[in-house]
Amino acid sequence: MNRAFASRWARNVFLTVCGLLVMIYIGSRFFTHIDLALYGYMVGTVVFIGGFFYRFMAWGDRPPTRIILKKGMRLLFRRSTPKTAADQLVVYRFIWNRGWYRWLQHILLGWGCILSAFVTFPLVFGWMYFTMSDNGYYTVVGFGIDLVRVKADGILAFLFYNALNITAFMVIGGVCMALYRRVRNMQARAEQSFAYDFLPLYLLLFISITGLILTFNNIFLDGFAHPVMSMIHQWSVIITLIYLPFGKLAHIPFRPMSVLARNYREHYAEKAPKACRVCGTHFVSEEQSQDVVDVLKQSSLEFVTEEGYHLAELCLPCRRKYRMSRFTGVPTHQIRVKESNQNAKG
Amino acid sequence: MKKHLYIEMDNCIGCRSCLAACTQCGGHDERNRNYVYDVNPLVNRQTIPLMCLHCVNPACARSCPAQAIQVTPEGAVLSALVEKCIGCQNCTIACPYGIPKFDEEQNLMYKCDLCYDRTKDGIPPMCASVCPTNTLQWLTEEELQEKQERHKLGKWTASHIPDHPLEGETNVRISLPGILQGVQKLF
Repeated sequence: MNRAFASRWARNVFLTVCGLLVMIYIGSRFFTHIDLALYGYMVGTVVFIGGFFYRFMAWGDRPPTRIILKKGMRLLFRRSTPKTAADQLVVYRFIWNRGWYRWLQHILLGWGCILSAFVTFPLVFGWMYFTMSDNGYYTVVGFGIDLVRVKADGILAFLFYNALNITAFMVIGGVCMALYRRVRNMQARAEQSFAYDFLPLYLLLFISITGLILTFNNIFLDGFAHPVMSMIHQWSVIITLIYLPFGKLAHIPFRPMSVLARNYREHYAEKAPKACRVCGTHFVSEEQSQDVVDVLKQSSLEFVTEEGYHLAELCLPCRRKYRMSRFTGVPTHQIRVKESNQNAKG
Repeated sequence: MKKHLYIEMDNCIGCRSCLAACTQCGGHDERNRNYVYDVNPLVNRQTIPLMCLHCVNPACARSCPAQAIQVTPEGAVLSALVEKCIGCQNCTIACPYGIPKFDEEQNLMYKCDLCYDRTKDGIPPMCASVCPTNTLQWLTEEELQEKQERHKLGKWTASHIPDHPLEGETNVRISLPGILQGVQKLF
């Protein structure tokens, strides 16, 4: 099997695209409900899959990444996983703790994009479509199964028709908040660059606005310039899809790693906590301490002390005091006094 | 022009102005990212500031699974990118100086970024701009050279000296306290 492909990348992309084709085959009732007006998105998705695997396999080959991915995947089914995943991937609790502004911006942008994807891709792949058997009632069909019957002029149907308009407003709101922060925040201003920080925002803004213009043209201009606008909109989405794995937006598919990292830390800390070699405080897990030592060795970094232990085996205050001892010759780390007044709170 | 943060350790009087100033830097969120340590707490009052030394080959960045720690062209090792940091805390374990701090609530590592919003434009970092005793200085290469020649203190900068007190080449330069060198300083 491994010899059949030129590289692991080729194998993964091939298998994923085949899997997608099978899903489309089943989901669209044997290709009978493909919306060909949307075929451009399908081609864009296939190119996206290629780029996605290229970027993420290159990234997964880095020694520290490989460790967290491998050990994290093995620990995926911990009891705490659903809660951790909900906290970090659904309600973004950690961003809330970084500030309400950032959180609101992320809820608008993140959920705006995710909901749009949940609407768009099932339509593109024929996984979801609407039929009307009774006059005045739409049946929503998902994966060939009749899901719900909704009144064609009811509230639910209204939300379905306008889902992408609503998410467009969410994304525009989020982008505006993000842009405002990028103009005002001093740290952001120092570190940001056009290609990394602004381009993804402009792309999302462009997608949302062209999408809204489509609706505007339909409602107020009797469909004037609809074909042209739909082409522009489609291209903007495809370009963003292709760009996604390579720029800042890569942190969206990347974020689930934080759940793996949390599981990795919790599991090994319960199993065998690491005691500091100087003061004996538990500060991390045996496993992670050793993993970091190994990873650094692969980058030709090895911090072995005269006493023969690795610096990664010292808790943070002891490591800092150990540095004092290297600066002065006084064995500061051996003196049992708590580090004093390190938080500038008077 | 490339400038270096330079730490002249025996000048430190432990006033902790550098910690207070650090809290006021853009993006630091009113939390300081540096340390001041008592060298021999039960015996005397000598203190030494400890900040990120901005390694040329930073262990924190090498151990980061998410590539969240960026190194700028000026050599500043930045704090974790907020969107990339996954909270694994590898960096806090890898750093030989124990510098990175971790916020469990925010699931985010933060460390000295050499006040990149300031130093990028040649303005000294917060800590150096407030230090009342010139323990922390912001110097050009020439000024560093001059200092070395004026004091003729021998092994006093950080880089590439056998059994030197650091773990590798750093962008922040240090001058060891006189006690270790057996040389009395002039001031």
